[in-house]
Formats: sequence, structure tokens, C-alpha cells
Amino acid sequence: MNKILVPNRRTALKMLGGGAAALAMPAVIRPTPGWAANGVLNITTYDKFLPQEFLDKFQKDSGIQVNIRLTDDQGKQYNLLTAEGANPSTDIVTVAGHRYSQFISSKLLQPLDTGKISNWKNLNPAYQNAAWARVDDNLWGLPILAGYEGLARNVDYVKEAPSWEIMFDPQYKGQTSYIVSDFMTIVMQYLGHDGDFVSYAGKPEVAQKATNEARDFLIKNKDMVRKYYEAGSEVQQMFINEDIYLGHSWSGPAAKLIMDGHPIQLSVPKEGTFGFCYTLNVVNNAPNAENAYKLLDAVLASPEVGAAMTRQSGYSSTINGVADLLNDREKLASTLPQEELERIVFFSSVNRDMKNEMIDRATAEVKAA
Amino acid sequence: MRNMFSDAPRTTLTAFYWAFLLYLLLPLTLMMAMSFKDANFVAFPIGDWTLDWYAKVMQDKQFLEACLYSVMIAAASTLAATTLGTWIAMLIVAEGIKGQVIIFALACLPAVVPGMISAISMRIFISTIDMPTGTAAIILGHTVHAVPFVVVMALTRLRSMPGNLVDAARDLGADSVVAFFRVTLPYLGPALVGGMIFCVLLSIDDFVRTFFLGGYRPTLPMLIFAKVQGGMSPEINAMATLVLVVTAAVGLYAEYLTRRARTR
Amino acid sequence: MVSSNTTAGYAAGRDASVPRYSTGIAKVVNSALYRHTLGAAVESRIGRIILLAGVPLIWLIMLHVGPIYQMLKISLMSHYPVQPGVESHFTFDNYAIFFSESLYFTPLIKSFIFATAATAITLVVVYPVAYYVAKVVKPEGRSKALLLLLVPFWAGELIRTFSVIMLLANRGAVNVLLREIGLIDRPIPMLYTSFSLGFGLVYLICLYMLLPLYSAIEKIPSQYLDAAADLGAGPFTRFRRIILPLSKDGIVSGCSLVFLTCIGVFATPMLLGGPNTVLFPETISGFFHGASDKWPVGAAFALIMLVTALITAGIFMRLVGGKKRSAF
Repeated sequence: MNKILVPNRRTALKMLGGGAAALAMPAVIRPTPGWAANGVLNITTYDKFLPQEFLDKFQKDSGIQVNIRLTDDQGKQYNLLTAEGANPSTDIVTVAGHRYSQFISSKLLQPLDTGKISNWKNLNPAYQNAAWARVDDNLWGLPILAGYEGLARNVDYVKEAPSWEIMFDPQYKGQTSYIVSDFMTIVMQYLGHDGDFVSYAGKPEVAQKATNEARDFLIKNKDMVRKYYEAGSEVQQMFINEDIYLGHSWSGPAAKLIMDGHPIQLSVPKEGTFGFCYTLNVVNNAPNAENAYKLLDAVLASPEVGAAMTRQSGYSSTINGVADLLNDREKLASTLPQEELERIVFFSSVNRDMKNEMIDRATAEVKAA
Repeated sequence: MRNMFSDAPRTTLTAFYWAFLLYLLLPLTLMMAMSFKDANFVAFPIGDWTLDWYAKVMQDKQFLEACLYSVMIAAASTLAATTLGTWIAMLIVAEGIKGQVIIFALACLPAVVPGMISAISMRIFISTIDMPTGTAAIILGHTVHAVPFVVVMALTRLRSMPGNLVDAARDLGADSVVAFFRVTLPYLGPALVGGMIFCVLLSIDDFVRTFFLGGYRPTLPMLIFAKVQGGMSPEINAMATLVLVVTAAVGLYAEYLTRRARTR
Repeated sequence: MVSSNTTAGYAAGRDASVPRYSTGIAKVVNSALYRHTLGAAVESRIGRIILLAGVPLIWLIMLHVGPIYQMLKISLMSHYPVQPGVESHFTFDNYAIFFSESLYFTPLIKSFIFATAATAITLVVVYPVAYYVAKVVKPEGRSKALLLLLVPFWAGELIRTFSVIMLLANRGAVNVLLREIGLIDRPIPMLYTSFSLGFGLVYLICLYMLLPLYSAIEKIPSQYLDAAADLGAGPFTRFRRIILPLSKDGIVSGCSLVFLTCIGVFATPMLLGGPNTVLFPETISGFFHGASDKWPVGAAFALIMLVTALITAGIFMRLVGGKKRSAF
């Protein structure tokens, strides 16, 4: 990255920058950065994903000091790691399923050595070697939470939602909401195409045609939607405030409303939907990789951690024995009928570049229309 | 103030001020009321009231630490940005300096770059100068972001400052430095106070730069953003209400002290 | 005559919060250390220039240009981050993308229209308030009147945005109230419209207009207004002929701050907008936020926006500020 700068110019830059920085700040600059010391572990994750009691116990047992950097979305995490390049300041990141392959192809993660995790057996077998998780013949993260993209509805106003078609029912005009890029792939499914692009590998024309069809459909129905949202907290608030009766939602935020007793239900319509996992991943060139593995092992050691994550996020835990720790409402919120469960297809890791490129562009077009 | 306005415009202005204040305060009153709601998500009607959220927040060590850390960063970056901003503004209005347009445009740069991009470029920049991430980097990032606001504020008064004020001081034997501290700086007073308010607000509102430049010690906005991600709970409202009440009280008390000092 | 008036105005406008340096400065200036260092430096022309320009120029070039330079570099690369095995080469393609398609052009235009409208509305709403605080309120009450206006801003941007949501939502305060008193049976959808976006934006940004205006109006000597009134000028004439021209610096500063922040940084108000209010910063963040990350394109677009916004603000300043008074 610094190739463009000739070395002596860089030294000058450094001195000048140091001078300007020192001038600006009375604060003490630590001689050795805290994130590279021994006995330290740096984690970037969501609030309350790792319960405080668990962290306290882990720090006491292992003597490792854990630093948590709170994040609120995936984009910042990805951009931070990319900006830091070969010298990351974090050891573990929390990656959501739709970003998994992006982190891997950008070489931001290191392959997971399950041999270093003695409690690996406590992971639900369905996730121990899932096809979606295996990329380039390696696993890249420990799946901790599982979720899907569901159709959420306010049952006081919408009794049934068997098909995604209801999102375009004139009866609910101005009462629906979705994340454009995610919903685009679902609309492709709804229109009879392959929203995950797996079958489009090497067939860009077919893929483009299918994407354009979904795009045009969304533009045509633009007057149906109340808001294009981005964050889970937005869709929660829209449901609570009755700004919308129907919405495409990741299962977590909707499940949290259900746990809290709001008249919301989440279902998987007959056209199907996509599932994904949140994974804890060891960063490529992580300064404290050994400590990171110790933490992953500790996460799997007891179902308490998994239960706390489920309560906090609304997603289902992938760790054995968690269900026994949840109360009935919490269980109900994260459970689906078998028939609907079978309609969930996990995001693949095949043909991602084509999918991301086409979906992102179509998203911009829908928004700008 | 004698004769300044006949009564009608004066009354209209007064009414307008109070209406505007109501507009500013009304949503906040709702926000504060919600902090007493006995439920996990904020919503109308409030239903059952509780003080539990306050009990929880007051005992939350992370929250108190985040507040102190934010105050520390805001104070340092405000001090730095005010000094630099004033200095740059002096340069812009100085006579006999060429390229003032360019200097001004450069000074404004950081105010126009979207937060994420500014944070990324700052992160890459500090690694090219081998500066470690952490408190110092965060303060640097906040300072860069705040400088344009101080420059623009200082210019609101500097540009139309009567030149003869400084000339008079020079005639009386003061050199440029003394003239600056004794004449220009006091004249800039209200503008610099405004600039400092911007610095503090920008610093305590910033999430993305803090996240990129350090972030293992959460600042107040980092904590609040992270909590909002998990759902809009009255706990967040209780935090915001506490911050609001404390800052308002400190502000009013400081104002009272200044006024008392002046009348003495 | 003018000079004595202005000096008097300056004295009257002096804020109590600014300390006076009467004895401290004298001590410093007379010390040997000062006389041999700074004191000596300001004696010579070169010394004065270095003192005035040194630190600001180093700061600007290092810390304002430095980071943006990194973005400029990225915007001219075909790939970033550079992966092993992939060759990144120098290219202008990322800029060409912008000009080749209306898809990206439209949101930029929309952004400019939007920011201009927001600036104008904020100016019209906030000016009377600033004037009231600076000139109608008695001097001893001013700081309190200002402090009251400042209170909401300490809650933070995100919280204030959610407060607006609680006010305007279908089950927000306004709709609940209207329903209680029986004026409506179905909620009026106010949120996620241009109305809520404008409402929220002024709510979030008005301080950037208020403080510059206050600082400019406050320094207008009251004697000018009294004199004009004595000569028989009505309130409107006094406003148009004296207050408005003399508060021009504040208008220019306030409008630039609001315009520049509106166009670039303000992401939060987008939480209040609807599906038809997508603006350019969102387009840019799409390149950094989307699953197919395209830093080079995003960086190029950010620079395009940066340059256009600065030029627009510059033109505005020159038009309104006039050549003589402004720094240009």
C-alpha cells in the first residue's frame, strides 16, 4: 500500500505527522500499543453477545485480559479490518452469514483449526461441518447463532401470510418495509428465479435477466413500501409503532419482539427463504490467536453463553443444550414448524462475486428510481 | 434597547422563540418520559412506570466509565481544535497572504467527508505514520473533524473585525502576539464559545471515528449505538436523560456563577 | 466617527465568558524568555509569517489533506485492498463510472437540491430566534436563553432522531393525542415522508445555523439601530438596511455549515426519510457497506462529492459574502 510513497518521503510524512499529532494532543501516547501485549485478547462483537459473567470467569480462569470493541453493524467491522490490513488490532470478529464469504475472499480471516477446540463436540452436529461453512476446503469460523430471513406480521391486522405475495397486496399499501438488497433475492425466489445465484455460476446473462426482473418488480411496487430500512432496531420500532403491519425481517429482531409479548409472528412463506449463521472468527494475522482459540473453546464449554446470546439477539443457538435453558416464550420465539423449517436454504458460498455485484447494483437502482 | 422595536414585532419574536424552544424540547420530553416505562421497548402508551432503568444505569460501571472517557476525549479535542481553528482563521484573514481560498477550502475538507470515509482514511493514515490506535488517535480524529467548525465560527467575527482595533493596540506598543491575546481573542469570544460547543457536540456524538481509531474503551456514543443495535430499550432513554440533566445543570450553574461574578 | 462607534460596539459586545488578560500577559511579555523567543520572532516580517502560517499549514497539509490523499490514491486504483495474485493498476475508471450513468448522477443532484432547501428552511426558521436572543433579550439573560436552546443537543444525534420517531409515528405522541380527542380514527402517516425528514433535519441541524447567526448579530452595535430609529426608519427598514447586511458573515457561515454537513455527513436523518428520499451519501456508503465492496469507486464518488460541495459553497460565499468582506 505504501509503494506509491517513496521511503524518504514517508519518513518526512511520519515526522511531520508525529509533530502535528503531538501538537494537537496533551494526552499520553502509550509506548506499546495495548492490543499487542501478551495475555490479552481483543474481540469485536455486539453488545451483550458475550455475557459479562462469562467474560469475568474466563479472565479469572485463563489470566487473559479481554478487551471488547462494540460494533453495531457488519460494514464497519469489515471496513475496519480492511483498513488495518496486515496489522489488525482485533483477534476475533463476529461475522454475519451474508458477509461470511466476503470476509474470507478478502483474506481477513484465518482457517479455523477445530483440533484446537476441545469442546467442538458441544456444537450442534448440523453446524459442525455444514456445506455453506466450508470454503476452499476449510472452516473459517465457529457458528454461534442461526437465523433466517422471515416474513414478520402484526397478527392484529394480518391473520395469515402464506406467500411473499402479501407484501404486494394493495390492502397493505404503505404498511410494509424491507431491506432492499436482502428482499431483492427473496423476490427473485418469488418470481421463480434463483435468489442465491448458485445455479447461475458462469451464466451472467441469465443471472442479469433474473435480477433485472426482480428489480423492475420492486420499482413497479415502490408505492407499496413505507420505508427501506437498514437496521434491526428500525424494523422493531416500526412494528411497535404500527407504522407497518408486514415486513421482511431477519429472525433475530422479530423474535425479540415476540419474546417481549408483542403481537408479532414470523413465518417462512411457501416460496422459501434463506438462512445464515453468525460466526466467531479468528482474524488473519491476529496478534493473539492462541488466546482467541481459548475463548472459542470456553464459549462452547457451557450452554449458558449460548442462551445469553439467544436472549440478547433473538437468534437460535447452535450450541447443544441451550434450548433447556430458555423459557417457553423464548423457545417459541425461535422455533418454527417443521414444514416451514424445511423451506430455509442456507446462503451458499458459491458464485458470491456475481451475486454481490448484481444485487448491489440493482439495489442502488431501486433506491434511485 | 430603547425604542428598538415597537411592541408588535417584539412580541412576535418572543412568541417565535418560545414556539421554537417548544419544538426543540417536545420530542425530548417524550424521550425522557419513556425512560420511566416498564417494558423492554419504548412505545406509547407508557402504561406502567418504573425507576428500575435508572437504578440499572446508575450501577452500570461501563456507562459511568464511558461518560468519563467521552468527557476526557471531548475536552482534549475541543482544546486542540479551538486553538488550531482560530490559528487557521487568523491566517485566512491575514493581509498579504496569498491563496486564502485554497487555505479555506482545505480547512473545510473534513466537514464534508462522510463519517465512514473519513474514519477509514484516518485509520489508514495513522498506520502510514506508525501511530498506534487508542486514545491519542481518537482525539486526533475528533480534532480534525472539529477544526472546520471552529474556523467557520471564528470567521463570522474576524472578517468584519474593525482593523483599527488591532492597529490601535499596535500604536500603543503591543506586538502582534500581544495584540492577538488582548484584542482579537476577546473580540472573538462569542464565536469561539460557539465553536467550542460544536467541538464538544461533534466529539460526544461521534461513533464511527472512535470505532476505527481505538474503541476498546467504549465512549458514550459507542455504548449507545451498540445498545440500540439490540433494540430501543428505555434503558437507553434513561442514559440519555441522565446525560441531559447533568449537562443542563452544569451549564446553568456555570452561567449563574459567571453572572454573579460579573455583578460583583 | 465610524471607528469610535465600532469600538464602543465591540466593548458592549464583549462576552463575560472571555477572561481578561490584563496582568498575566504583561508579566509574560516582559519576561526575558518571551523577549528572546516569541518577542524577537514577531519583530521580523519572516518571523511573523512563520508564527502565523507555520502551524496552520503543517496541520492542514498533514491532517486535512493527508487522510484524503489516502482516499485519492485508493480512488485511482483498480483494486483495493490488493490481494496476492491480483495486480492493481492506475486507472480513472472509477471516476468515469459516475459520469457514464445517470443512476449515480440523479442522487447527487437530489442531494444538492435537498441540502439547499434544508439550508434555506433552517435559515428562515432560525434567524428570528438568533435575532431574539442576540438583540431583544437583555444582555444578562442571553446566556440563559442560549443555554435553553442548547439543552436538547446534549442527548446525542441518534437519541434525538428516535425522539422525533416517537413524536411522529403512527402510535407516536401526535397521533395518540389526536385519536384521544377524537379528531381522527385512523393514524395519519407522518413518519418516513418528506415532512418528517424536513422536520427532523431542522431539528438536528439548527444549532449549526443558530450559533454563527448569534455570534454575528450580537456584535451589531445597538446604537446603529437606535440612530436609525431616531431618524424614523421602521422595523422592516432597519432590518433590511442595517441588521441584514451586518449579519451577513453569520448568514454565510451558518449556511455553509448547514449545507456542507447536510450534503456529506448527516446519515442519521435518513432514518426519518421514506423510500423516495435516497441521497448521494447513501449511494457512496453503498460502495463501502454493500456486500460487494468497492472502495475505489466509493472513494472516487466521495471525492466528486467533496469537490462539488466545496465549489458550491465557495460560489455561494462569493455571491452572498461579497468580495470585499469575505476571505476570498
